[in-house]
Amino acid sequence: MNRLVYGVIAAMGIVAAGLGGYGMAGGAGTLRLAWLVPLGGLELTLDPLGGLFLGLIGLAAAPASVYGMGDPDGGGRGRLAYAVFVASMCLVPLAANTMTFLIAWELMSLASYALVLHDRESEESVRAGWIYAVMTHAGLACLLAGMLLLGAEVGSQRFADWRAAAPALAPATRDLAFVLLALGFAGKAGVIPLHVWLPLAHPAAPSHVSALMSGVMIKLGIYGLLRVSLDWLGVGPPWWGATLLVAGAVSSVIGVLYALVEHDLKRLLAFHSIENIGIILLGIGSAALYRVAGLDALARLGLIAALYHTVNHAAFKALLFLGAGAVVHATGTRNMEAMGGLIKRMPWTAGCFLVGSAAIAALPPLNGFVSEWLTFLALFQNTRLDAVGQNLVFTLGIASLALTGGLAMACFVKAFGITFLALPRSDAAAGAHEASPPMRLAMLTLAAACVALGLGPTLVVPVFGSVAAAILKTPPSATGGDWLTLRVAGEFASLSTAAIAVALAASLLVPFAAFWILGAARRTRAYETWGCGRIVQTARMEYTATAFANPFKRVFDFFYRPSKRLDIEFHPESRFFVERIEYENPTRSIFDDWLYRPALELLQAAARAVGALQSGSANQYLAYILVALLLMLVLA
Amino acid sequence: MTTASNLLAFLGLVVTLLIVWRQSWPARLRLFAAQSLLLAALASTVGVLAQRRGLLLVAAVVVVVKGLVIPRVLARIGSGAPVRPITPGRSSGITLLVVGGLVVAAYVIMLPVTSSVELPTEGAIPLAFAMALIGLALCVTGRDALGHILGFLVFENGIFGLAILATYGLPGIVEAGVFLDVLVIVLIMEAVVVQVRREHDSIDVDRLRELRG
Repeated sequence: MNRLVYGVIAAMGIVAAGLGGYGMAGGAGTLRLAWLVPLGGLELTLDPLGGLFLGLIGLAAAPASVYGMGDPDGGGRGRLAYAVFVASMCLVPLAANTMTFLIAWELMSLASYALVLHDRESEESVRAGWIYAVMTHAGLACLLAGMLLLGAEVGSQRFADWRAAAPALAPATRDLAFVLLALGFAGKAGVIPLHVWLPLAHPAAPSHVSALMSGVMIKLGIYGLLRVSLDWLGVGPPWWGATLLVAGAVSSVIGVLYALVEHDLKRLLAFHSIENIGIILLGIGSAALYRVAGLDALARLGLIAALYHTVNHAAFKALLFLGAGAVVHATGTRNMEAMGGLIKRMPWTAGCFLVGSAAIAALPPLNGFVSEWLTFLALFQNTRLDAVGQNLVFTLGIASLALTGGLAMACFVKAFGITFLALPRSDAAAGAHEASPPMRLAMLTLAAACVALGLGPTLVVPVFGSVAAAILKTPPSATGGDWLTLRVAGEFASLSTAAIAVALAASLLVPFAAFWILGAARRTRAYETWGCGRIVQTARMEYTATAFANPFKRVFDFFYRPSKRLDIEFHPESRFFVERIEYENPTRSIFDDWLYRPALELLQAAARAVGALQSGSANQYLAYILVALLLMLVLA
Repeated sequence: MTTASNLLAFLGLVVTLLIVWRQSWPARLRLFAAQSLLLAALASTVGVLAQRRGLLLVAAVVVVVKGLVIPRVLARIGSGAPVRPITPGRSSGITLLVVGGLVVAAYVIMLPVTSSVELPTEGAIPLAFAMALIGLALCVTGRDALGHILGFLVFENGIFGLAILATYGLPGIVEAGVFLDVLVIVLIMEAVVVQVRREHDSIDVDRLRELRG
């Protein structure tokens, strides 16, 4: 039964991917069922951007479902919610009017809420679900307000009509609609400071769902931001693009900073989703700014970078979440400090996780490198803009992207090293076992996708180029270069990941060739690993994740504001002998302390003030009715 | 017709004021029955004079439901309660003053209606509306569940009178629905009140404060 359901969903994903590919290739189609839904009817339209996201959802849902088939503790419960989740996500990029969109959007949120509450006994899950529900509905309220505002101003709830009427709207209306819609979509995308739900909700769900939530669902927030900033509202003022760019810069750096000190494997990945959303936003923001300035080729480049990174992030983040799920299932914990040595026990998972880590850390020749390189290219060419303020914003984007790249590298050295290398730090890790065949198949597929997207940018970029041209309404240009080399920025730069791959592979052979030329002895001697002179080597002597993160904690002290707690229990006989040491070094979230807590306190104070009306006296309540009736009659 | 409707509506208002004034539960109940019968008389008068046969049937239903059944049920509900819910000495003077103000308010509010409508019954419209407002006021000042029920019924009677005076009766299906509603509400309230009394030995609304969250 389990296998059947997940198999059907995987097949559905492949069909969706096919449909999406048809849409990307320029195929268009509209489905109208006016009787099905009130206020405008159900209306679905396939266009290149919608097709791209539909294809992305389908291609991510297929391996995630295959993984779900083999996941012994993730299956069973929540199958229906999972099916609804995937189906509603497929509807979102196709929706062509407000009602259809909001219904699909809300279904997606509710189904994922049910999946976050997978482990109903855990207090942590319940809290995560609660915060997720609050944030997602706050976002929905913003979307609803923005869409109704636009609908009322334009006089139609259809997105196609908005597109036609937007340039004629009053600037204030457009700005307000942009702010409301962007807030709603940014909340779903996990843009800082609206990210609080993300690191709680994603780890709480079963791993194949986390993979979809992180890989695809938050991308629908990006989809919305693309529609708002580039499509529905026409060409906006420069501050729209600048806002997106700054939000991207802040999200990328802060996301990776939080990830660096996180020792819960799945939460670490969730924080990296925030970082990658930031990188995508850098591309979108630059596209919006270039478009206002009339630099169409650069706008297209920024958008290609954003779309490419969207797809890449879906591939490697889904892969990493599936790998983390396999690890969590094998060891029974999400705490990295209790792992270690898994590479010998789970070689397949470790290999796939390594590919994902290298991809997310933007190492060539994998896919993360290509899209981050494209983003850099888009940002670096801001010198062609003639506005100092905008140039400064771009510089901020470049600096934060560079910092993010370095920190992400460090973070995945930690994530992979502590989890998979060295000796097992717990009995559970020592007794870990390899993932089941369907889980391995899913991970291998995604790892192959990471490699393919990295090696084949010359094939992929023209496809994204045509999608970008369709949104920006510019003629598709002859971007590309030849089959080997990618030339998207004129004479500014070019890239050939295939050549890099060959060079890297060749450099691996260099030592062997050197040995051969020098005629050195190739006799293998087996001997113990050098242990720094220690006689025994135990897991307690190993480098821990906390220790790895500590230098960063010190450098970014102003941001983490860590508090330190050191508990030492001395031996009763002498202070020179220690029985037990406990060291804790938790960080505090500036967003919780300075944004959400004051806001919630204000809300509670307001609720208490209004609560004075509620005296508990039935007579008083009836008097409210009488007074309201009289006032209404007298004033009307 | 004008004289008859004015007289009946005036008498109805007087009875309503008496309900406000009286404190003893059996007396208020009798006054409510009297008010219902007056309304039935009003309905049949209008029915005869305006050639609306349907109103005669409505009047008959009013006599049965509001004149007989509901007072009987209310008497059953109130059988265990003290005859006077408030201690002697606290009169209903202030309430009567407020209610007087409501009658004035009813005239003010209905001014645009009466000046635009050309009906022989227009003079009685504010009187019926005042009955409705006083019913709500009775709800507000009610000290126990019985007072609330009675206030609601008086309010409903006022609306009924208003409907007869302003439009010569509502469509039959609406009228039937309203009667059924009122009857069901009274029956439900009977069950609730009996339950509340069994649990708390009292039906004083002040005890509801304990439920506040």
